Amino acid sequence: MNIIACVKQVPDTEAQIKVKADGSGIEDGQIKWVMNPYDEFGVEEALKLKEKNGGDVTIVSVGPARAMETIRTALAMGADKGIHISDPALDNADAFVTASALAAAIKGLPHDIIFCGQRAIDDDSGQVGAMLAELLGIPQLTLVTKLDFAGSSVKVIRPIEGAQLSIETSLPCVVTAQKGLNEPRYASLPGIMKAKKKPVDVKNAAALGIASDVKAKVAKVVPPPARAAGKIICGDDAAQKAAELARCLREEAKAI
Amino acid sequence: MEDREFGFSMSEEQCSMKDTVAKLVKSMVSGNPSHDMDEARALPREIIDKVWELGATVSMVPEEYGGYGMEYSPIMNTIVLEELACGDMALAIAATLPSTFIYTILEMGTEEQKKKYLSLYCDPAYKACTVALNEPRFKFDAVSLETKAEKKDGKYILNGRKCFVPLAKDSGHLLVAAAADSKMELFIVEGNNPGLKIGEREKNLGLYALESYPVVLENCEVSVDDRVGGEKGCDYSRFLQKSRIAMSALGTGVSRASFEYARDYAKERVQFGEPIASRQAIAFMIAEMAYEVDAMRLMTWKAASALEAGRDAKKESYLAKLYAGEMTMKITDYGVQILGGHGFIRENPVERYYRNGRGIAILEGMAMV
Repeated sequence: MNIIACVKQVPDTEAQIKVKADGSGIEDGQIKWVMNPYDEFGVEEALKLKEKNGGDVTIVSVGPARAMETIRTALAMGADKGIHISDPALDNADAFVTASALAAAIKGLPHDIIFCGQRAIDDDSGQVGAMLAELLGIPQLTLVTKLDFAGSSVKVIRPIEGAQLSIETSLPCVVTAQKGLNEPRYASLPGIMKAKKKPVDVKNAAALGIASDVKAKVAKVVPPPARAAGKIICGDDAAQKAAELARCLREEAKAI
Repeated sequence: MEDREFGFSMSEEQCSMKDTVAKLVKSMVSGNPSHDMDEARALPREIIDKVWELGATVSMVPEEYGGYGMEYSPIMNTIVLEELACGDMALAIAATLPSTFIYTILEMGTEEQKKKYLSLYCDPAYKACTVALNEPRFKFDAVSLETKAEKKDGKYILNGRKCFVPLAKDSGHLLVAAAADSKMELFIVEGNNPGLKIGEREKNLGLYALESYPVVLENCEVSVDDRVGGEKGCDYSRFLQKSRIAMSALGTGVSRASFEYARDYAKERVQFGEPIASRQAIAFMIAEMAYEVDAMRLMTWKAASALEAGRDAKKESYLAKLYAGEMTMKITDYGVQILGGHGFIRENPVERYYRNGRGIAILEGMAMV
């Protein structure tokens, strides 16, 4: 079975994000980078499929030089090889350019099933998986919490409000992983030591025949407004205080 | 020539392992689980199994004996121990305890001993084995033991008393340190040897979650083949060095846990209109904790790197252990002090770090690099 897992390197969930003074992005010097947690579910599911049905797992990532660490993490978990799409021209890639780059790299590889996280926790756009499926012309199964493989097709579960959908499709297909799909394993020390020796192909935009044809541009990054100080309603008369509270909730907070 | 090493940056693999252990510790150990283990005086098997699955202990055993054939690295082991102890020191000791047995046999055992014992413990499933080193007597000295091994009719007869033997009751084998003709040696003793009497679980100041036992050896017969290293015997000095570096790494971990908790607390706790961290009395303590943790770690790494380079680390490991023992007491004490009354109650972990960390200056042979 030829399994592909796409991963993105994102700031650690606990990283303190600071917006650059010119609003062009975030300060990325001191940040600790990790694998997007939703992509981790995808990698884990890929490894489980491989363990059960044989085959190999290829990790594909678009990102700057440091993204190699995230590819190595996936290799340390047990994936077999990697493709690192790295090009300064892709630094400002939007979802479409990222999906195009992934599609160009994956087209040349045998692929039965492709895993992506349902979204990345940094930009939360959630488009890459869907675009990738479209560019490859194959079905997509999104927000998957359970996956069963049956020879030439897969059956998945996707929860919806008050119910769950059971969906089936033929292979190849793109699956986007949602929390609950599995419990990602920790890389073992032997896995970490072996990861260094596993092959990772580094490709640039020219080698893949893609251009940075950005469809959507981040115009500006602004930090959320600082929280205003709370208000304490003083006074001796409870009824008066309650009236003032109601007025504040209605007129200032517009909550009632 | 002894101060040759000069490189403080971690390799990609070391960083990766540190991050992996830290991630596991954060999701499964720190905070409530660690508190609950201490209260329950027991370590959940599933957490020990998870740590074991990281493969830190068995990775360095050659494949022919059931390991993964990675390079033996005391430095990597100190990194793992610090991260684990930063989460919970009792867990760090229990989950890596087989290292005390495995690394000793690996480095000092005869071919037969390696074949017989390594595969037994290099199993995907965690199996306890331990070291009986400490003795319950005033002026205990690890290099002059009162437990004696006498050769008689082609066997060794062991007699003596041991204490602080972690997980003795569940251990398949114990490495017993004893004096044979005034040279210190290690003997492999089966857990069910009739000459081995395991007493009641000890009630200790700290490490509540870690079971430890007194052990009495009464005419305990051991085959000559089970003297570590056979005829040649073991390198007891190196055995102690590996243990001392490991204890220093544990001290660094528990101290760092106390430092980080107290630092974050001091930045948030407001008294007299400002966070207490902005008061010099507190700020100085936090700074001291920060640099002592670094100092401890550097001494530990220095000693480990000497071992890794294949050199004797007697001096470095003694100094690291001595320093870690003293500083762990000081730092974990500061942790309690900075939290004040909150530090004295069990709901905050600094109380536990203080009790557990106290063991570094006293205990020996509970971990191995």
